[in-house]
Amino acid sequence: MQTELDGRVAIVTGAAGAIGRAICRRLAENGARVVVSDVVEGAAQAFAATLPGGADRVMACRIDIADPQSVESGVADVLRRFGQVDILVNNAGINTQAHRVPIDAFPPSEWDRILRVDLDGTYFMSRAALAPMLARGAGGRVVNIASVVGLAALRLQSSFVAAKAALVHLTRAMALELGPRGVLVNGVAPGSVLSEGTRALFYSPDGSFAGRTAEFMDHVPMRRPGTPEEIAEAVLFLSAPESSYVTGQVLAVDGGWTAGSAF
Amino acid sequence: MRVDLDRQGFAIGGENTAVSRALAAALLDNGAAEIRAGISDILILSLPLCPGPGFDWSAQKALAREAGAAMQARGPGEGRGRILFLLSAAAALPLRRFPDYSADMAAALAFMRALAMQLAPEVRVNALGAGLIGDPPLAGDPAMLRHAALERPGTISELVDAALFLLDPRATYLTGQMLSVDGSWSVGYGRNF
Ligand SMILES: NC(=O)c1ccc[n+]([C@@H]2O[C@H](COP(=O)([O-])OP(=O)(O)OC[C@H]3O[C@@H](n4cnc5c(N)ncnc54)[C@H](O)[C@@H]3O)[C@@H](O)[C@H]2O)c1
Repeated sequence: MQTELDGRVAIVTGAAGAIGRAICRRLAENGARVVVSDVVEGAAQAFAATLPGGADRVMACRIDIADPQSVESGVADVLRRFGQVDILVNNAGINTQAHRVPIDAFPPSEWDRILRVDLDGTYFMSRAALAPMLARGAGGRVVNIASVVGLAALRLQSSFVAAKAALVHLTRAMALELGPRGVLVNGVAPGSVLSEGTRALFYSPDGSFAGRTAEFMDHVPMRRPGTPEEIAEAVLFLSAPESSYVTGQVLAVDGGWTAGSAF
Repeated sequence: MRVDLDRQGFAIGGENTAVSRALAAALLDNGAAEIRAGISDILILSLPLCPGPGFDWSAQKALAREAGAAMQARGPGEGRGRILFLLSAAAALPLRRFPDYSADMAAALAFMRALAMQLAPEVRVNALGAGLIGDPPLAGDPAMLRHAALERPGTISELVDAALFLLDPRATYLTGQMLSVDGSWSVGYGRNF
């Protein structure tokens, strides 16, 4: 789709990752001023330099969403540069790679690390970005990147599943609270998407679950993982002026994975 | 917003409503052409959007099945075919005062999702879930307003734009979903404060 974001300022967190990059690009292509934020500053800067529009329309910054101070100072940088925040895409998120184990074996430190970023971080970031958005009174959008695991539970990643289910419901609660104040809040729940992380698990010959990829794909009616661009397209719609009566929804972009039982 | 539907054919089956007519106009405006015979790229199935008595949607169901099979038989070309059901948001959340209507809508939603699984990957199948749209209502029930965080009915163009997004050739991994355009009614039904 093609829409007119007209200089709206969009902060994307975790923007140096696979899905974050695609989201930034689609928002920029449709006229937004984009803040490429990531905990890895160099990666954010390198990617920001590839976006259209130059320094007037694109900025890179370091935001660690798990650290309230980093979040506050990042949003302050954005306000100094662009003066406003219209769109927040809570995309940064982590999952466990090393500890694919059931809950009784799941290490507490790994549990805390994941919840701290995926759930607490989304709260810190939303709180900080909503302040200028609500103060300006011109409305705004929040898009939370959840996951299909927040809709249909999977094994061996209990903290991630719990965090993403929490984001699904947090999205709804935020929509109810913020709707009357002009801020629309929706979620996108990606299915399995090609990224560095999923390649290390499924989509490369030496992935740790490579032997089970075909069996996995039997559960996905489209029989393939999604691309970051396909996730970004839904984020674009939910950021666009045309989705002005859509709020509190979580849209799965998953090739039909959670439509029902494929067996 | 614009979606690129250049040289695509669409057909509309089921109820002729203000919503289906507005959607047809938007499809034409974005480059698609209405076709009356042969296999279309896009099939819209229109169901009654204002809650009332139960309804018979067997014609829409048969059409979806038949057109879907034809789109699939046309051969490879992932997501070239698209089927969109125009449903009420009540498909996912039954209405106490309209049990038969709610059950028929829920059945249509379940059918949509099963069809999406069956027709993948050649055909994408999705649904729009209309909340209260228009005043007087073109879709939904006035009682929905109390539980919608946006505190107003939606407009027909807001509904049509969501339909265009679901039909967008770029939404290539989106199938088996209902997107509700209801100002948060289906989320906020638990309490009105
Ligand atoms: N890839 C998938 O299959 C998939 C599926 C469902 C959901 N998701 C979700 O989509 C989002 C993006 O995923 P991705 O696949 O692009 O991941 P990715 O690992 O490629 O990118 C994540 C980015 O977030 C950054 N990040 C990590 N911790 C951070 C923090 N504390 N503060 C700020 N940035 C931080 C990383 O540096 C990285 O650049 C995540 O929320 C993820 O859970 C991904």
